[in-house]
Amino acid sequence: MIKAGQIDKGTALLIKGQPFICVEREFVNPGKGSAFVRLKLKSPTTGQVLQETIKSQDSVEDINVENMDYQYMYNDGENFHMMNVDTYDQFEVPMANFEGYELLMKDGETYRCTVYNDEILDIQIPSKVVYLVAEAEEAIKGDTVQGATKFVTTETGLRVRVPIFIKQGEKIRVNTETKEYLERVNG
Amino acid sequence: MNREAAIARSRLYSNIRAYFTDRGYLEVETPTLSADLIPEATIDNFGTTFINEFRTSRELYMIPSPEIFIKKLLAEGSGSVFEISKCFRNCEQLGSIHNPEFTMLEYYTVDFDETDSIALTCDMLRKTALGSCPESVLADFETMTVREAVKRYAGGIDLDELQNPRDLRKAASDLGLIIPGPESWDDTFNRIFINFVETSLPKDHPVCLTDYPRQIECLAEAKGNYRRRWELYIGGIEVANCYLEERDADVARDYYRREYQKLLSLRSDNGKTIPDVDESFCDTIGALPKCSGVAMGLDRLLMLETGAGEIDDVLLFPLSNIL
Repeated sequence: MIKAGQIDKGTALLIKGQPFICVEREFVNPGKGSAFVRLKLKSPTTGQVLQETIKSQDSVEDINVENMDYQYMYNDGENFHMMNVDTYDQFEVPMANFEGYELLMKDGETYRCTVYNDEILDIQIPSKVVYLVAEAEEAIKGDTVQGATKFVTTETGLRVRVPIFIKQGEKIRVNTETKEYLERVNG
Repeated sequence: MNREAAIARSRLYSNIRAYFTDRGYLEVETPTLSADLIPEATIDNFGTTFINEFRTSRELYMIPSPEIFIKKLLAEGSGSVFEISKCFRNCEQLGSIHNPEFTMLEYYTVDFDETDSIALTCDMLRKTALGSCPESVLADFETMTVREAVKRYAGGIDLDELQNPRDLRKAASDLGLIIPGPESWDDTFNRIFINFVETSLPKDHPVCLTDYPRQIECLAEAKGNYRRRWELYIGGIEVANCYLEERDADVARDYYRREYQKLLSLRSDNGKTIPDVDESFCDTIGALPKCSGVAMGLDRLLMLETGAGEIDDVLLFPLSNIL
């Protein structure tokens, strides 16, 4: 059992016998009341989404999951193809259950995955990742306004708003949760 | 630098200062460090240590609201006052609508009750609004009692008929809520409120929820099963809280003792800060003139007025950027 207040994004819970992954959690305090946590839970197998708002002190059944490293090989538009780096076992993970992850995961890169009953429940993407700028708009000439920005596309296809000095071929660090530019990375 | 956010904040503050000063309120500046706090079990605190030149130390606490100092001024006869103050609350999730250090506007009006404060607050919001402010902030307030709101959004249940914890618990279960163990009336009420009421409140105009259940203890005057206080929700976000201030020293003393016990039970085994409390403050409460106080979160108001999606968008240095 786990206290609701300790549930984080990615925590695996057993709800009515089914594994669910917490995809969003927000603490809410009613005026002068004890803390609550609003959870959005998703079943990685059926895609079913549950919304629950429970007291931080409530206990919930959590699952003993394993964390294993998987290499992301490619996606075929339907599934991510992942390979366990220790056993070389290959797995298909439905892309629909990990919306937008194809824009964040790099081919060949290894990701820590949450595994339960031989199923990948969650793919853990680091909160800050360095990407290569594959395409960059030219900055508009004469645009010298302080704080001016433009869009670039990373090698994974993610569009990010960046300062105008960022050029194609450079590397940038991106916050993968907000998809926001953090800084230019040299070298 | 987020220049637009800085400009919006600066304009809003000067509008607010002009609004209250023009109406005879005295702007005050009170400390953010205090030797004691008003016990509030569900608001976690920051503690720090003062060390004097002889290396003797004393615990001090960052205020969660300037209330403790402002009430001392009111009891001394300051008349109506307002303050824009930094406040500190611990153990809350960063981002979205929380930053542990935030800015509160508090205004206390002598001879006002909580209903007078509703009209004042509506007028203040309109007269101080930024040019960018959407209609959803400036529209007429919809005022409803918590009892009405619960009836409307939580399956028609009537709080007046559910004053017994067992009855309220049964009603909550009937609504589909799972309550794992025994709990107090106000905890069950909060489950219902959070699950059914708060999420259903209209977002296109401000909603003022009045008359909170008496069982939720605080320093607002009680009236029957309820307390003379309100909370203002704009765009579904809690922006302000108002009391008709309690002025009975004995009632305040009871509150202090019960709330401090509750605070100890919630914080004794988890390393959270346990602030000193000073019961003699209850005599200050006994000396208050009739007044109504409002506390309004200015970062949240700025979010709403500028259309920012996150509190971080209106802060120049949000803590979530460095942690």
